Amino acid sequence: MSDAVVELRGERLRLLPERAAFWEGTGTLLAADLHWGKAAAFRASGVAVPGGGTADDLARLSGALERTGARRLVLLGDLFHARAGRTAAVLDAARAWRARHPAVEVVLVPGNHDRHAGPPPPGLELRVVPEGTAEPPFVLAHHPEPSAAGYVLAGHLHPGVVLRGAARMRQRLPCFWLGAEVGVLPAFGGFTGLAEVRPRGGDRVWVVAGEEVVEVPPGPGRA
Amino acid sequence: MSARRGAGPLAPAEAWFAGRGWRPFPFQREVWSAYLAGESGLIHAATGTGKTYAAWWGPLLERLAEPPPEPRRGGRKQPAAEPLRVLWVTPLRALAADTAAALRAPLEELGLPWAVETRTGDTPAGARARQRRLLPTALVTTPESLTLLLTREDARELFRELRCVVVDEWHELLGGKRGVQTELALARLRRFSPGLRTWGVSATLGNLEEALRALLGTGDGGRVVRGLLPKPVVVDALIPDEVERFPWAGHLGTRMLPQVVEAVEEAGTSLLFTNTRSQTESWYRALLEARPDWAGAIALHHGSLDRGARDWVEAGLREGRLKCVVATSTLDLGVDFAPVERVLQLGSPKGVGRLLQRAGRSGHSPGRESRVTCIPTNVLELLEVAAAREAILAGRVESRPPAERPLDVLVQHLVTVALGGGFRAGELLEEVRSTHVYRELEDDEWRWALDFVTRGGPALTAYPEYSRVVERDGCYRVEDPRIARMHRMAVGTIVSDGQVQVRYLRGPALGSVEETFIARLRPGDRFVFGGKTLEFVRVRDMKAWVRRASGTRGTIPRWMGSRLSLSTELARAIRARLDEARRGEYRGPEMEAVRPVLELQARWSRIPAEGELLVERTRTREGHHLFVFPFEGRLVHEGLAALLAYRISRVRPISFTLAVNDYGLELLSPGPAPLEEALAAGLLSPHGLAEDVPAALNAAELARRQFREIARVAGLVFPGYPRAGKSARQLQASSGLFFDVLQRYDPGNRLLDQAHREVLERQLERSRLGRTLERLSAERVAVVETRRPTPLAFPLLVDRARQTVSSESLADRVRRMQLPLERAADREAAAR
Repeated sequence: MSDAVVELRGERLRLLPERAAFWEGTGTLLAADLHWGKAAAFRASGVAVPGGGTADDLARLSGALERTGARRLVLLGDLFHARAGRTAAVLDAARAWRARHPAVEVVLVPGNHDRHAGPPPPGLELRVVPEGTAEPPFVLAHHPEPSAAGYVLAGHLHPGVVLRGAARMRQRLPCFWLGAEVGVLPAFGGFTGLAEVRPRGGDRVWVVAGEEVVEVPPGPGRA
Repeated sequence: MSARRGAGPLAPAEAWFAGRGWRPFPFQREVWSAYLAGESGLIHAATGTGKTYAAWWGPLLERLAEPPPEPRRGGRKQPAAEPLRVLWVTPLRALAADTAAALRAPLEELGLPWAVETRTGDTPAGARARQRRLLPTALVTTPESLTLLLTREDARELFRELRCVVVDEWHELLGGKRGVQTELALARLRRFSPGLRTWGVSATLGNLEEALRALLGTGDGGRVVRGLLPKPVVVDALIPDEVERFPWAGHLGTRMLPQVVEAVEEAGTSLLFTNTRSQTESWYRALLEARPDWAGAIALHHGSLDRGARDWVEAGLREGRLKCVVATSTLDLGVDFAPVERVLQLGSPKGVGRLLQRAGRSGHSPGRESRVTCIPTNVLELLEVAAAREAILAGRVESRPPAERPLDVLVQHLVTVALGGGFRAGELLEEVRSTHVYRELEDDEWRWALDFVTRGGPALTAYPEYSRVVERDGCYRVEDPRIARMHRMAVGTIVSDGQVQVRYLRGPALGSVEETFIARLRPGDRFVFGGKTLEFVRVRDMKAWVRRASGTRGTIPRWMGSRLSLSTELARAIRARLDEARRGEYRGPEMEAVRPVLELQARWSRIPAEGELLVERTRTREGHHLFVFPFEGRLVHEGLAALLAYRISRVRPISFTLAVNDYGLELLSPGPAPLEEALAAGLLSPHGLAEDVPAALNAAELARRQFREIARVAGLVFPGYPRAGKSARQLQASSGLFFDVLQRYDPGNRLLDQAHREVLERQLERSRLGRTLERLSAERVAVVETRRPTPLAFPLLVDRARQTVSSESLADRVRRMQLPLERAADREAAAR
């Protein structure tokens, strides 16, 4: 695993290939758009998606917590995909994961999916805080909207970029997209798609390339 | 045979024909007698030669031999129409109305209380509601609408009296998943109505016997009836003046316009066929700009236009009101447009059968021959015209091999039958195996498909939340009304991108374009659609709202659609023409015209001889290029490019992007490729294909791409979902995502196998890929270093749709890449 480190408003943020970020100063792991139970929600509608994804996602989340030694986990929205996806199997797996990290405080900033999926089920021991909660110099959010209260860390977009290189190489990858006022994390959930974003001059972008996080130089690119 | 005409069973038909001054053709009589004797079969005849009545009069004669309808009773004006007896399946819903009219023509004179109606995606809601209560005596429908009828709870009752199914233009359905869907529906109908007779109608095919078997299933009997063969066809081309001055690789665009205008002017009525909807739009526009006086006299026709607009064009053609119609394959089939004198084909027809079919749309007046004139869109296409003429003269028409037991269609069918009254596993398996396509369906494939719809995965996993099809006491049914509704909306195997209706702010709908095109527009942008310049206003309720704009400039939407590949027949003919050119032999005007370009090719590199594989190596600003020219059509080249890239990348870590066209393929890499080492290690060897091909397909993500269609047919991904609202949006995921998830968590999923198999068999034509390698491995490889891309190489160089194959790590590759900041950069690059 090879992380990238970025300094934002005087704080060190490590960008992890697990598709999460670690705020060193406060020992906080940040992850957005987990979409737990998405496959189960599909199955409930007669779409045959295999299980296994949720277990993998939880293992990756545990791995990131243990690797960073985080004391706190902040979930930036869309923890559950849909009400129909909150099946017994999904909730059992989530509670078992939670029991593995009793010392970690878990905070949820609700996203648009959470509103439809309903309040977090009991047994997850997580604290819900409103969108836009300020933790100077940062503001915790789901939707990437600028805020006067600080630098916004958000999700929602499932950002990805298309890179181009010599010999007409083209590669589409999930990314961390840090602008002047808002930083967007990649979607954490494995069963989520990408939305291509178009960074502007001055923005910085890191892609998740397998086990590495690599900053990509902006440039005209050769199409 | 009785000498007394008028007394035999065919007498009513003879009389009706005689009343019109016609006489039945011998093949029509043969079909009628066979039908009356209880036989099924396949009629092979050209368009406009009486095939419709060959198939229709059998059921009519049968009815006429039965007791006459009861006389009208006092109070009722008309006796009720008799129940459903004949189903007429047509591949294009645009054909349904004309077919129904032709079927109705004899009814009144015969005094039969038969109703003939259509049922397609275009059928209005009122007619559908009536048909929900009562189906007509004869129903003209499409495979999709037929399958929808099979999802009705009372399906068995509906078809109880069915005597005959006619499948029109069977060659169009055969070979694709719509054909498979039709085979399954036919098996169902045979179960409902055991004495059912099936008659297919097909154009010329290389494999008529196989087409018959696919139509009739595994039962015995059936005959092929040869109808009238097509008239002689004249194939010629509009030759560009001064070929040297044309960019030999680029598109001629509308440079051929003056000659096309002249050709249209000469003919009374002509059809200008294009290969894409975008070309239809741009050529219609170009013709109007060249001849403003033709406004109202020329029109365009393609599948995305609104039904009303298409009807108007078709009527205009029949009545001879239109001078020229620019059209896509939507006008390939169907009833005659008698006034059409000349057919123009823009770009390569890609296949001999297709060119013949299009040519057949002209020359229906007595004493005329069918004539098709090809208009090259680049100079090398002249080669294809010369090759096509040669293949037609030699009578070499392509075969259409039927599909091989696709499990996605089976999965869809299981849900269809579960809805349509339910099924018992053993009975349905027997029925499915009675089709030609699933005759060798294995027990574990069947088990898997059944598990997939009942449990959502392999038998060992338990997903209590999943219940698409539910088994109770051995009977499988759909119980959840939401799943039933979703299935009915998704029935079918035609896969297209999300379509958005184009509609005037105050006014009617114009047709539909792909969502991806609309997504790139900003309010105020102009685009051309249906021959009109429109201003985009906004998207709302899944509709693109527009207003009329002045001026003639605007972007032309591009519709996705598979690019046709050169057929084997045509590919072989092209290699032969090239070999002649290499020897200095240029026969015919097209070869003469293309001569300067081929001579340039010979000077800069060489013209490949028969038995020789040409490889050109060039270096440009973009990197190191290998151009390989097997001349086997783009589908084979796609697989071959992936395979060659994969094999070279095993020599040492390297990354390639791949481009293909009908003549060859290109491997482009940032550094030089170890070609010689790879050749020595068996680059072209047919050995090890079993392992190398799947690995190469994975590397190039070809199976992942093929999965798009499978995911849709098997019901993983839903098509544009009107009125569905938020809950549906939570069920959206791309087929690529499904592919990744299945590969990771259910690698034994047979839909993945199917994706690989389809890439190999359908997309890459596995046997053709194997044969190609056999051929190439025996050939002499001529590696030529060229200083710049040659006439053969240049079209590959400018192809922008590329796959990647790499043996380097992702992070290593990413480190050499950049993130283009603005779209302007792309546009600039595209303009270069």
